[in-house]
Amino acid sequence: MKVSLNWLRDLIDVPETPEELSREYIRTGTEVEAIDTVGEAFEHVVTAQVVSKEPHPDSDHMWVTMVDVGRFNLGEDGEPAPLQIVCGAQNFEAGDHIVTALVGAKLPGGIKIKKSKLRGVVSWGMNCSARELGLSGDHSGIMILPEDAPVGVPFAEYHNTADAVLDCEITPNRPDCLSMMGMAVETSAIFDRDTHIELPQIKREDTSVSVDDLVDVRVDDPALCSRYTARVVRGVKIGPSPAWLAERVAAAGMRPINNVVDVTNYVMMLTGQPLHTFDLGKLTERDGRRHVVVRAAHEGEQIVTLDNVERTLSANMCVITDDGNRPVCLAGVMGSLDSEIDETTHDVLLEAACFDSSHISRTSRNLSLISEASIRYERQVDRTRCPEVSRIAAALFEECCGATVVSGAIDVYPVPVEPATIVLRPARACAIAGADIPAAFMATRLTRLGCTVAEQADGALAVTVPTNRPDLEREIDLIEEVVRLWGMDSVPATIPAAKNHIGGLTHDQRLVREVGQILRACGLNETLSYAFAAPDDLTRCGMVDEGRGVPVKIMRPLVAEQSEMRRTLLPGLLTSVAYNEAHGSENVHLYEIGTLFHGRENASLPKERQSVAGVLSGAWGNITWNQKYAPLRFFDGKGIVEELLAQLRVEKVRFRPAEGAGFGFLQPGRGAEVLSGGTVLGWIGEIHPEVRDAFDIALPVVAFELDLDKLLTCAHDQGAYAGFSTYPSVDVDLAIVVDESVTYETLVQRLTSAGGKLLRDVRLFDVYRDEERVGADKKSMAFALTYRADDHTLTSDEVERVHGKLVTKVCRAVGGEVRS
Amino acid sequence: MFDAVAREQPNSGDPATQGSERHERDNMSILDDLQALENKAKDLIAAADDAAKLDEARIALLGKKGEITALMHMMGKVAPEERPVLGKRANELRRMAEALLKRRGDGLRREAMEALIGAEAVDVTLPGARPTLGHQHLITQISQEIEDVFCAIGYTVEAGPEVETSWYNFTALNAPMDHPSRSARDTFYVVDNAPGSVTHPEEHAAGESDVLLRTQTSGTQIHIMEHQKPPIYAIVPGAVYRPDTADACHLPQFHQVEGLVVDEGITFGDLKGTLDYFAKAMFGPERKTRYRPHFFPFTEPSCELDVSCHVCGGKGCSFCKHSGWIEILGCGMVDPNVLVNCGVDPERYTGFAFGIGVERVAALRYDLPDLRALMTGDMRFLAQF
Repeated sequence: MKVSLNWLRDLIDVPETPEELSREYIRTGTEVEAIDTVGEAFEHVVTAQVVSKEPHPDSDHMWVTMVDVGRFNLGEDGEPAPLQIVCGAQNFEAGDHIVTALVGAKLPGGIKIKKSKLRGVVSWGMNCSARELGLSGDHSGIMILPEDAPVGVPFAEYHNTADAVLDCEITPNRPDCLSMMGMAVETSAIFDRDTHIELPQIKREDTSVSVDDLVDVRVDDPALCSRYTARVVRGVKIGPSPAWLAERVAAAGMRPINNVVDVTNYVMMLTGQPLHTFDLGKLTERDGRRHVVVRAAHEGEQIVTLDNVERTLSANMCVITDDGNRPVCLAGVMGSLDSEIDETTHDVLLEAACFDSSHISRTSRNLSLISEASIRYERQVDRTRCPEVSRIAAALFEECCGATVVSGAIDVYPVPVEPATIVLRPARACAIAGADIPAAFMATRLTRLGCTVAEQADGALAVTVPTNRPDLEREIDLIEEVVRLWGMDSVPATIPAAKNHIGGLTHDQRLVREVGQILRACGLNETLSYAFAAPDDLTRCGMVDEGRGVPVKIMRPLVAEQSEMRRTLLPGLLTSVAYNEAHGSENVHLYEIGTLFHGRENASLPKERQSVAGVLSGAWGNITWNQKYAPLRFFDGKGIVEELLAQLRVEKVRFRPAEGAGFGFLQPGRGAEVLSGGTVLGWIGEIHPEVRDAFDIALPVVAFELDLDKLLTCAHDQGAYAGFSTYPSVDVDLAIVVDESVTYETLVQRLTSAGGKLLRDVRLFDVYRDEERVGADKKSMAFALTYRADDHTLTSDEVERVHGKLVTKVCRAVGGEVRS
Repeated sequence: MFDAVAREQPNSGDPATQGSERHERDNMSILDDLQALENKAKDLIAAADDAAKLDEARIALLGKKGEITALMHMMGKVAPEERPVLGKRANELRRMAEALLKRRGDGLRREAMEALIGAEAVDVTLPGARPTLGHQHLITQISQEIEDVFCAIGYTVEAGPEVETSWYNFTALNAPMDHPSRSARDTFYVVDNAPGSVTHPEEHAAGESDVLLRTQTSGTQIHIMEHQKPPIYAIVPGAVYRPDTADACHLPQFHQVEGLVVDEGITFGDLKGTLDYFAKAMFGPERKTRYRPHFFPFTEPSCELDVSCHVCGGKGCSFCKHSGWIEILGCGMVDPNVLVNCGVDPERYTGFAFGIGVERVAALRYDLPDLRALMTGDMRFLAQF
C-alpha cells in the first residue's frame, strides 16, 4: 500500500516528517519498506517560456525552439541563453509557458536527458508532455502552463508535487489499511488525533429516469456475493483526468489511464472498496433493460480478461454475467475484455459489490491472477459501505467525466452484517501484556480506531467494533490493538520463572551429538543433502525397494529429480562425491545425519527414521613432505564404523559379508552388513563400480549407512570401573597357515575360546600369501597373543601349557598348521 | 684390553711368597706403582672418547679385577705401620679415578647430547603432521548453539514429523482454510495413500491433500501440547519445506527452530525478556532489540524481532537497508484458539512462541552470498566452518 503524505494530509493533520511518521507506523505494526520522495523525480525539470519557434531546417515536423529557463541557464558547456531545444510537438506557440527538462534530468519513465543532436541541430533539453512527467496519460502534446506561471522555477515547487510516498506492507489481517481512509483512521489512533475526511457529493441526480428502469441485478448464490450495488452514469466523456486525480492515482502506484478508470482506481485507493465499471452499451438489452446476473461459473466456461488472456473457469469461481449468459467479469478479480470501457463508451454501469473472500482467494490462486481488487476481496471488504462508495464514485464521474448520474441505486443485499460487540477486560489485557496499561488509554485508542466503547459496571469495556475490521472478533484481538498502540517496546522485559520445569537434552539427544563428534574426530565432515529423491534413485544406486517401504510422492514437485522423499542417504552423498570430484576436490570425507521416509501402502503418513551415513573417497590428504596417504578403501571405512560402535559401547559387533540382491550397490567381496548381536544396524562397503559410473565418480568410494534409531538402542553407557592386573603379561606370536576360506572372524573366535581366561588379547599383525612357502589357496595369519593372570605372575610352564593346548585345538578346528 | 691391563700389573705374584725383608723396597715400589697407576689412569680416562671406551677404562681401573681394585686389596698385606700412608694414598688414587671418570662421563654425555641436538635440528617452519579432523555443518552448528542457549534456561528439545497433516501444519495453528500459504504454490502436498485416514481429515482443492511436507516447525507446538501438560518450555529444531526454486536467497528445504512456552502467568514481557536474552547470546551483548507488531495466524499479539545492525551498529548502512535493524525472527503470544485446539485452557494458561530461521542466522553471521552452497557437500565450503 503506497501512502502519499500529501493525500494523507487531506484526511488528517500530519505535522510529522515522513521519517517520523514511518517510525510510528513501524512501531505500531505497519511495516514501511521505503519512503519515495516524489519531488526528486523532477530534479532538473523547470518551468519555462518559449521565446521563439522556428521550423527545423531538416525536418518537416520538428521545431527548433529557444526556451527561457531563467536562472537555470548556466551557460556551461556552450549552452546558449535562451536554451536551444529541438521539439517535435505541434500544440504550442512562442510565448507559451511550458515545462522543460534540462540536461541531467531523469524523468519518471526512465528517460535520461542528455545534450544531443537531432538531425544536425543541437538540443539542450526536452519540452515535456504530461505523460513524460508521469502526471497523466495525456501525450497529445507538450504540457502548456497558464500564462501567469513563473519562469525558471523548479517544476516540483511550481506544481506542488513535492510528496513523500510511504511504501507500506499491510499484514493480511488488516484489509482496512489497504485504503487511504483506513490509513487515516490508523494514523488517528497512533497519534490520538482527529481525522477530517470530506467525501465528494453528487451535485445533481437525473430524476427523469431511475436506475431500475435501465438495469436489474440478480444474485444467484449469496454465499458467493453478499452484496451487489449498481449505479448508472450517462454521457461520460472519456479523456485525461484532471491533474489532481492523475497525481493521486500515480502516487498510489498506479498509472493514470483515463478519467473513468482513474476515478474507480482513486475511489478504491481512498475507501478500500474495489469498483468495476461496465460499458452499459456492451450489455445485452432485453425488455428495455440490461440484466446483471451474479452466478457461479460453469465448469470449463471461458472468459477473455482485460489483460487479453483467455481463462478457463471452474465451478467454484464467481462471474458477473450479461443476462446470465456471457460472463463479463470474473467477479472481484478482473473484467472481461469485451465489456471494457473504451473511447466510445457513453453510459457506464458502476458496480460496488462484496464477494466472498475465500472464493476470490481460490480463484486468484488457481488462475495465477492477482489484481488490486482481488487482493482486497481476499482480505475481506466491508459490505456495509458499498452504497456510500458507489455514491462517491458517481459524484466523481459527475465531476471529472462530465457524466450525469442516473437517480437511484440498485442494492441487492442478501446477507446483512451487524457490528459485533466484544468484552475487553482491562486487567486481562495488562496480564497478557505484562504491563500496566490504563483502561482509559484502551478506551481512547479503540475509539480512535472506530470502535464504540462503553464501560460496564464490572470495569470491563464493551467494545463495538467497526465492520471494516474483520480481524477484531475476540478479546485477544482487542488486546493486540491495545498492546501495539501502547508500544511493545514500552513493555518491561522479564524472564519466566519456569517453576516445576526441568529442561536440557535427553540421553538420546546427547548420544546423537556424540555420534557426530565421533565421526568428526574420525575425520569426516558433516554435510546436508536434500531430503528429496528422484524416482530412479534406488535403481541408480542398485538398491532394492524391499525393506524401504513405498516412496512418499510429492504431488507438484519443483523438478522431477525432487519428486519423492529419500529412503536412503546414499544418493545424496554420492552426488556430493561427484560434485567434489568435478570441482577438483578428490579427497572427500563426508557424513550426514538425516531423516528417511518410508511410505506405507495403506497409510497416509510414512515412517520416518533417522539415519547416519558416510562416504570416503580419495585419500585423507594430498602427499606432503612428511606424509604419504594411502587411497581410502574398505578398511578405512570399516575402521570408522568400528570406532563409532566401540565409542558407543555397542556390544557383540559383527560384520557379515553382504551378499545377495539387496546389496547390488556394493562391490562384491568388499561389503558387509553391520550387526550387534542379532540386530542389523546397516552396512559398510565399497560402492559398486557400475554405481559409481552412474554417478560419474572415478575414484573408489567406501560408504556406510546405519540406522541411527537402532544404533542408539544398542549403545551402552560406561559401566563401573574395571581394575588392571598388576602382574606382568607374556606375549607369544603365533602364525597359522589356513585355507583362504577361513575368515579372520573364525580364527579369532577359535583362538579366544581356546585361550580361556588367561588369553587377554589377540592381535593380527600379518597376513602372508606365497604359493611356494605357504601353499596355493592358503594364507598365513600371524597373531600376537597376550597371556596374563590377575592374581599371580605366570610361569613359563603355565604359558607353554595353555598355549600348546590352544595351538592344538585351533589347528584341529580350522584345519591349519603352525608356520615355523 | 682388560687382560692386557691385568698382565701389566707389576704385583700380580702370590702375596704369600713375599718376605718381610723386602718391606722397605716393596713400600717404595708400591708408592712408585701408585704414581704410575695414577698417571696411567689419567691417560686412560682422557683417551676414552666415547661412552664404551670410558666404561672399559672404568672396568680396567675400578672393576672387580681392576688395577686400583687390586691395589686396594693389597693394602691388607702391607705392614700395619705403613698402612695409614699407603692406604691414604691408595684411597686418594681411587677417589681421583672416580672423579675423573665421572667428569669424563659427564663431558661425553654432554657432547653426545649436543651432537644429537645438532643433528636433530629441523626447519621449524616446515608444515607439521596434522591429524584429519572433520567439521560440523554450519546449519547444525547454529541449531545446536540455539539449543544450548535455550537448554541453559531450562528448555527441552523436541522433534516432530517432517511429513505432516494439514491439520497440524495449518488448521490447528488457526490458519483459515483459504489462507494463501495453504496453496500448492506455497506448500508441497504429498500423495495420500489412504485418503481420509488421518486424525483430522479435511477437504482440499485440486493438487492438495491432507498430507504435506511441513512448511514450518510450528506444527510441533500442537504435538507437544497434545503430549505434555504445561508447564512447557520447549524448542524444536528441524527441516521444513516450501516450493521455492533454489536460488541465492531461497532453498526448497531449510531449517527452523521453533520455540514454545505455555505456563501460568506468561506475559508478553516474558517473551521479550526471553528473546532479548537469546538475541544477546547469539549475536552479542551489545546488540539492541526492537519488537515490531506483525501478523501470524497462530500468535496474538504477534511481532517480528529485529536486532541492531552489526555492520553499522544501528546507524544505517546498505547491509540493513539503511534502517539500522535486521529482522531475525517472528514471535508472539500463543493464540487462544491454538491452546483450545490442544485442550489447554486459555484462561488459566498463556504462552508465547517464536520461530528462528537457521539459514538466515547463518547468512547474517557469515555473510553467505549463496545459500545453495549449504547443500552441495562441497569440501571447500564445509572445511571453512
